[in-house]
Amino acid sequence: MEVNEDLKIFDEKLIDKFNSLSHNKIDYWDIRAGISTGNSIEFTDKKSKEISSYEVIKCGIRTFFNGGWGFVVVEDLSRNSLINKFQKAIKLAQLSESLCNYKFKIKASDVVIKNFELKNKVPLENVDITEKINLVKEHEKIANNFSPNIKNTLTLYYDGIGNNLFLNSYGSRIYQKLSLLRVFSSVYAQKNGIIQRGVNSIGGIGGFEITKTNKAKEISFLSAKEAINLLEAKSPIGGTFTLIMDPKLTGTFIHEAFGHACEADLVLNKESILEGKIGEKLANEDITIMDDPRFGKGPKFGLPYELYGSYFIDDEGIPAQKTIIIENGVFKNYLHNRETASRMNLDPNGHGRASSNINKPQVRMGITILEPNDWKVEEMIEDTKNGVLCEDFQYGYTDPTTGNFQFKARLSYKIENGVKKELMRDVSLSGMTLEVLNNIDAIGNEINFSDGMCGKGGQSVRVCDGGPYIRVKKILVGGLR
Amino acid sequence: MSEEINVYNIAQKILNSLNQNNNIKCSEVFLDKKNYINIEIEENSIKNSKLATEMGISVRTIDTRGSLGFSFTNKIENKTIERIVKTAIKMMKSGTPDPDFKKLPDLCNSYPTVKGLYDDKIENLEIEDSSKYVNDLIKVCEKDDKAISQSAKFKSSCNETYIFNSNGIEVFGKDTICSISSNIIVKDKISNKTSFGFDWQSVRNIKDLDSERIALNALERAKQHLIRKNVKNMKVPIILTPIGTINVILSPIISAINAENFQYKRSFLVGKRGTKIGTDLLDIEDNALIEGAMGSSSFDDEGTPCNNKKIIEKGLFLQQGLLHNSYTAAKEGIECTGNAIRASYSSLPSIDATNFIFKSGNDSKDDIINDIKQGILFEYSGDSANISTGDFSGLILQGNLIEKGEIKHSLNNTMFGINLLELFQNISQVSKEYQIYGPYRAPYVRVDNVQIIGNKD
Repeated sequence: MEVNEDLKIFDEKLIDKFNSLSHNKIDYWDIRAGISTGNSIEFTDKKSKEISSYEVIKCGIRTFFNGGWGFVVVEDLSRNSLINKFQKAIKLAQLSESLCNYKFKIKASDVVIKNFELKNKVPLENVDITEKINLVKEHEKIANNFSPNIKNTLTLYYDGIGNNLFLNSYGSRIYQKLSLLRVFSSVYAQKNGIIQRGVNSIGGIGGFEITKTNKAKEISFLSAKEAINLLEAKSPIGGTFTLIMDPKLTGTFIHEAFGHACEADLVLNKESILEGKIGEKLANEDITIMDDPRFGKGPKFGLPYELYGSYFIDDEGIPAQKTIIIENGVFKNYLHNRETASRMNLDPNGHGRASSNINKPQVRMGITILEPNDWKVEEMIEDTKNGVLCEDFQYGYTDPTTGNFQFKARLSYKIENGVKKELMRDVSLSGMTLEVLNNIDAIGNEINFSDGMCGKGGQSVRVCDGGPYIRVKKILVGGLR
Repeated sequence: MSEEINVYNIAQKILNSLNQNNNIKCSEVFLDKKNYINIEIEENSIKNSKLATEMGISVRTIDTRGSLGFSFTNKIENKTIERIVKTAIKMMKSGTPDPDFKKLPDLCNSYPTVKGLYDDKIENLEIEDSSKYVNDLIKVCEKDDKAISQSAKFKSSCNETYIFNSNGIEVFGKDTICSISSNIIVKDKISNKTSFGFDWQSVRNIKDLDSERIALNALERAKQHLIRKNVKNMKVPIILTPIGTINVILSPIISAINAENFQYKRSFLVGKRGTKIGTDLLDIEDNALIEGAMGSSSFDDEGTPCNNKKIIEKGLFLQQGLLHNSYTAAKEGIECTGNAIRASYSSLPSIDATNFIFKSGNDSKDDIINDIKQGILFEYSGDSANISTGDFSGLILQGNLIEKGEIKHSLNNTMFGINLLELFQNISQVSKEYQIYGPYRAPYVRVDNVQIIGNKD
């Protein structure tokens, strides 16, 4: 595997220099450096708004000493600049240590020396910008031709190829080359003064083949169809209902409301409702939730590429692995990075992730999934007297200290006496995370997932979440009527 | 700027080479540099210290058909820059015609002067000296027996911006920002319930930074939400705190008057210009020229001079009450309002407010609360309005019941819902007290007849 020219500066001699500079001064260091290139294309109403190209270098040096971290961003990857910044980073760890109240050590972990490269069916390097633009144009055409009531369309395409190097003081040396791609379609429809929006996207780790799947081809059609359908939708009536969530919303619930509370940095900072809950029964015994960002899942779902939340190693050099969070209703594990695992005297489980090389890794999810069971969605509907069926979500948020969450569903249907009825828009769902988890009384038999970017502490990372249709006995629905 | 880099030479070289190309109508070079210090507190203890310099350059070029190409890098050296200039042209060639593109901003000979945006003490701040601001935050929690944790951030940065375009614009700006944020967790030892409160402050001059006050505010808010109870469904007045006013009124209005959202008919205010959309108390301006304010600047991120403009005057949404960048202004055939904003060199100019100000009223905040028989004090939702419909329904993450003029318990799992056009017409009181958060200045606002959806049987 050919190492990128800009990254060849990190040779044995330089690494030796880092080791001698840090010897007896700090406990640990790591360096992430990479160069990425890519394109973004934005069309609106069939016209190009932005066609862009980039080439950026990002490098961060992180140091640790006895409970304090230091971090220095480097843009000039020359030997002198790197040595100078490395010395600064040592001083910063010492400064943090001198001011911090909690002292602790980082547990040593296995050394990883490996190159990772994902071979793509259609490498992005081989695809000309005009082909990418044609793809965007096609989506714009589909959305615009759907109905005369479509008033505004937006299609965003972006891709990137990253060459990244990870080094640490234990001797790990990891070089990886990955490419990713995402297409996003947003469509506004308008009729009689009512404006509604449909949004769909597709993303994955791989090459241009990502855009060739049926799932990718239909995003603009689906956005247009949703926007048009929503024109006729009614505002919801507030109250308490039985709720059936589709796989996307199930994913949102286990990620936003529940998953973040499993992140051990938030647990240590008292911002989690799951502190002290390991070993407790939190849900009925049919419920199993895990986070497994390892590669190989795309093909399992019949896709020619890898899921958007996948990674080989996390941003602290720990290999991606499967972590059981809830097994048969019992809470088993938090998600960890090096620091939280060391402090709880456990092994890290590969969830230290950063939005880029110039940000510190936080504890983050990767691919979070609720395991399927045996209900068909039709059976769930038939079995429901007074409920709502919600599909897809717009956004959600959670109070970390109480677990009170709210999601806004995109498409919602009333259910009356076992029959799916009228479409409603902007349905807000809210509840207390642990109550809702405990109130899941039916789990579907087919799993699906969605991909997106998850934000925390000002950083966003690519993630996937999903599961089957699930039913919750009761939930509060907010509405304007 | 590193000694070896001469920004003016680089920019002139790029513009000259683009000038040779007959297909190009106009082009722009944008360069920015940020130097910053970050200190992070977790578990009420200093955890992380960070130093960074980020610098990058972008090239925007538009051809005679109106097609735009854009390219950027942070490798400031000749070969890479030559490459990104070439790709910008390639990107431009592959785009579609856009007759709505008229021009980039024209050369301007006089820019307004705005004082107080730069503080040399921030530019020269050493990370070792920043720790005292952070220690003030930590002490507040240490002294309180209910506080169990705090996460907080201190950030200081010095930013330089350079804009050059083919119409002759050549501007340079340098400003400083220092900000702190605090998020405190409290626990009631008897009930074992926990709750959080937050506050933040951004300033241009470090002497205005008041860490202790920010942590005390966060602590007080956290305590105000320790006892949570469900309430019944009801239609009552709500009092928006300044943070609530930003959340429910100011921030949605900024999106709704964004000329791009307007032109694509994605705003609930389309068709409402020149009409009265609220009571006389709804009075809003966007003012970039306030001395020392966070949103102030003498030019926007395309080099257009900034100014002060009325948006909504005594409830009347003004004909000229939109925020424009050069593209949307030219499309409408009017002068640009100076609201082009870029997050950094890596993004094209979008549109945002500068300092967004809700005019204060005559009533005191305490009188407004005392007047309420039954109502809700609304601090924060976490939600935002649907800009295309104006519908706003969300969970009240931080809010309290008001009974007989007294602030009572916090709300458990309680939602509210209203359309903003209805909300604007229901504004009945505005306080004389106000608070400044970043680019916002907001008072307490009373809104009548808001639907509250509780969960109490």
